[in-house]
Amino acid sequence: MSETPLLELTDIGKYYGNIIALRHVTTHVNAGEVTCVLGDNGAGKSTFIKILSGVHQHDEGTFKLEGEEVRFESPREALDRGIAAVYQDLAMVPLMSVWRNFFLGSEPKKGSWPLQWIDTKSAKRVAKEEMAKMGIDIRDTEQPVGTLSGGERQSVAIARAVHFGAKVLILDEPTSALGVKQSGVVLRYIVEAAKRGLGVIFITHNPAHAYPVGDRFLILNRGHSMGNFAKDEIDQNELTRLMAGGSELEELQAELSQAISGV
Amino acid sequence: MSDATTEVPETEGHGHQDNGGEETAETSSARDERIAYRGVFARLLVRPEIGAIIAAMAIWAFFWSVSDVFGLTPGTASILDVASTLGIMAVAVALLMIGGEFDLSSGAATGAFGILTLLLVRDFTGDMGGYGLSLWVALPVSLAIALGLGWVNGTMVNRTALPSFIVTLGTFFIIRGAKLGFSKLIVDQIQVGKMDDLALNASARGGDKGYGFFQPIFAAEWQRNSHVWEGRDILYTTGCLVGIGLIGLAVFELRFARKEHMNPTGLIAFAAGVAGMVAGVLYLHNTDGVSGNAVGAIIIGLSILITGFGLARWRYQPLADRGAVAWSGAWITEFGLGLGALVLALVSALVFDKDNSETMLILVTEQGMRAILFVGLGGAGAVLLLMAANGAGRTSQLMRSVILFVTAVATAGFSFFIRSQSASVKFRSEVFSVMLVLAAVIATWAIVTAVFGERRHPDTAADHLGGRLAIAGGLLFAVGVTTRLLFATQADIDAGAPPAVFSVRTLWFILFAAVCSLVLAKTAFGSWTFAVGGNKEAARQIGVPAARTKTQLFMVVSLAAWLVGTLLAFRLNTIQAGTGNGLEFEYIIAAVVGGTALTGGYGSTFGAAIGAIIMAMSVQGIPASRWNSDWRFVFLGGILLVAVIANNFIRAKAEATR
Repeated sequence: MSETPLLELTDIGKYYGNIIALRHVTTHVNAGEVTCVLGDNGAGKSTFIKILSGVHQHDEGTFKLEGEEVRFESPREALDRGIAAVYQDLAMVPLMSVWRNFFLGSEPKKGSWPLQWIDTKSAKRVAKEEMAKMGIDIRDTEQPVGTLSGGERQSVAIARAVHFGAKVLILDEPTSALGVKQSGVVLRYIVEAAKRGLGVIFITHNPAHAYPVGDRFLILNRGHSMGNFAKDEIDQNELTRLMAGGSELEELQAELSQAISGV
Repeated sequence: MSDATTEVPETEGHGHQDNGGEETAETSSARDERIAYRGVFARLLVRPEIGAIIAAMAIWAFFWSVSDVFGLTPGTASILDVASTLGIMAVAVALLMIGGEFDLSSGAATGAFGILTLLLVRDFTGDMGGYGLSLWVALPVSLAIALGLGWVNGTMVNRTALPSFIVTLGTFFIIRGAKLGFSKLIVDQIQVGKMDDLALNASARGGDKGYGFFQPIFAAEWQRNSHVWEGRDILYTTGCLVGIGLIGLAVFELRFARKEHMNPTGLIAFAAGVAGMVAGVLYLHNTDGVSGNAVGAIIIGLSILITGFGLARWRYQPLADRGAVAWSGAWITEFGLGLGALVLALVSALVFDKDNSETMLILVTEQGMRAILFVGLGGAGAVLLLMAANGAGRTSQLMRSVILFVTAVATAGFSFFIRSQSASVKFRSEVFSVMLVLAAVIATWAIVTAVFGERRHPDTAADHLGGRLAIAGGLLFAVGVTTRLLFATQADIDAGAPPAVFSVRTLWFILFAAVCSLVLAKTAFGSWTFAVGGNKEAARQIGVPAARTKTQLFMVVSLAAWLVGTLLAFRLNTIQAGTGNGLEFEYIIAAVVGGTALTGGYGSTFGAAIGAIIMAMSVQGIPASRWNSDWRFVFLGGILLVAVIANNFIRAKAEATR
């Protein structure tokens, strides 16, 4: 890659007291590409994305955004620079309507203070349109998010991040709680987001989900990087072996064929 | 039949729920076939405050029918008076509870800020101390300290991450102690007074320190009997009747599907019906209310039937499919129980002696028992019949109409029974007329819904027109009732109308509730309130200033406490050190009755205001019904339990049926 990567991480490390959570992690994300971060439970995936999204700060190494070295003090700061994280728990309020969730924290306003209202009409319209762009037909933007299916909730979160100008989209285990078909749907949104020019970081412990959509793979194990590969440097079996030692190979392969056919 | 569009036959309610795994993301071009159209009524029924509104109407009707004085203007004035201070706090507390926190210091704080203001303005030295400030300084100072208390509460809850229940329990005890301590230290009494000394000593001091300015703002009163206006009844009657009429039109517009070609015959029938209603009202107006009311009410009832049918015939499409009757299910049981309750009501009315005013069963007189049993059983019977109609109507519109018609006939029969048997003039005149008209309305609805089809597609034009009509009707009704409450006629005065005093605090209540409701529904702060109560971590991650929002909510509560304390200080002039202690739970009850979830993230400030009115009605209604008011808390506790159960049910529906 000759152009500057969107996000470039070199030898990132993080300590919690005397516990080494992350060490010597190097990877990069290009615009329009998907970088998958793979690892079993406890591999340091969560720490990794928390550094990227500004929840935690790295203790060593360099973190460059569009060639400029950065260090985020808060999630808000990361968000303002275009790094949006969609967490496992989705950062959604289940009892609130889809459109309120979509615009939560960045409500479109009209009028001037103190008579400043949410522009409800345009909020509902934009939420519906943005969802439609991702290929989801949301039935009624007034319905509470809690009544949506898991895949739909993911799609709301992804569409929200894209709408608010995210350049880098971090997805924390978006498929882990979903069934095979739903996972296929979410994988399609990931590809869709990358096609629209975003850099996507896809965190998962499922190589079968990662391999079909990923352009680059970072494998973590117990806080260490097990390698950082472009897609043509590694095949899926190798990926699986590196990550989990082939323990669940049989099941994953079965799941894989289904998931790919869904994409 | 020919012009009926292809309507989807109604299946099980709105039950087209997706079930996770079967979902696909295919973009459908037209409307989504997975959801049935949810009409305005279905959407209204899952609002959090709907239970409180229904409960308020039922409790009002119950007390009104079993008591001679409940619902008269003086009683209404005192209900509004009690509801105002309670309601201002309940609205603020509801806002905080939606944001996921409690404030147990809110009750004690109301008295505290009243005392604080009084201490700041008192100008006695020595044993009878005070700081002698002008109200222009004292009020802003106590307001600032109030907001400071809210800030402290909020900041402590945010910083310690302890439950607000325990943090504010601490501040509650501190405030409670400080009130007593400072009162004794500075004034050497367990009460602090007196606000109106400012006026009494004004000439000696050469100024009333702003008392003359602030007193009307916080304690102006409106004496009904000194506002005589002969035009009152015209505005009252037309306002209420036209208001109800417009709401009726709105219901038709929202419920039925418009025709492409209007039917002029229907319009003629509609116009004739309206003329009949006007004639009936005028006829009733010229009778003494008891002797001629049967004729008047029958004229009105028949006119309602003609009007409703004519209106539907004129504008709306006929029903395509009446559905098949399912002769099983809960509705048959409900129908049987409903009829049984009605029979029991009649039996109890005949068994108990209407002229016996001896006390039985500790609480009530025999005639009171008769009234309660009759009203309670009759009401329960009506509710059961309506439930049966709803249950049967799921499969068959015709069966729903038949049961509704039976209900209408029973209501009419009861109205005549009451007219011949009741000991109370009120029952023989007003209750009779209202019930007969109600019977006509139910019968009209039964017939019209059996013939004309429910709208099952969105129609923005109809929704707009219906919404505007409903709002206009509601406003007219409110204007009519307000006029009736605020003005007297010379005839009232001559008949010795008891004095009725309305306080400006009711305006504060309405204003505060309106502002809070608008903020909650329409501003970003409102969204954030729901968000921090529903899922604080999620809200924070996405960039909502969660801690700041919570602190501001605590400050809203202490602002309300300051307002209530000031209202109390100007009303009572002297405030006891114990004022407000323990009331915090009443605020929470009012909020919960109004549909606010104890777990946060769900609720309604409007509902909390209604909840406060319900509690004020019980304060007024229990003695008005000549029950021992020591039992008030039994009643309150009962209402709370019923409300929580009902609201849970509504909330489950809100989450499921969307």
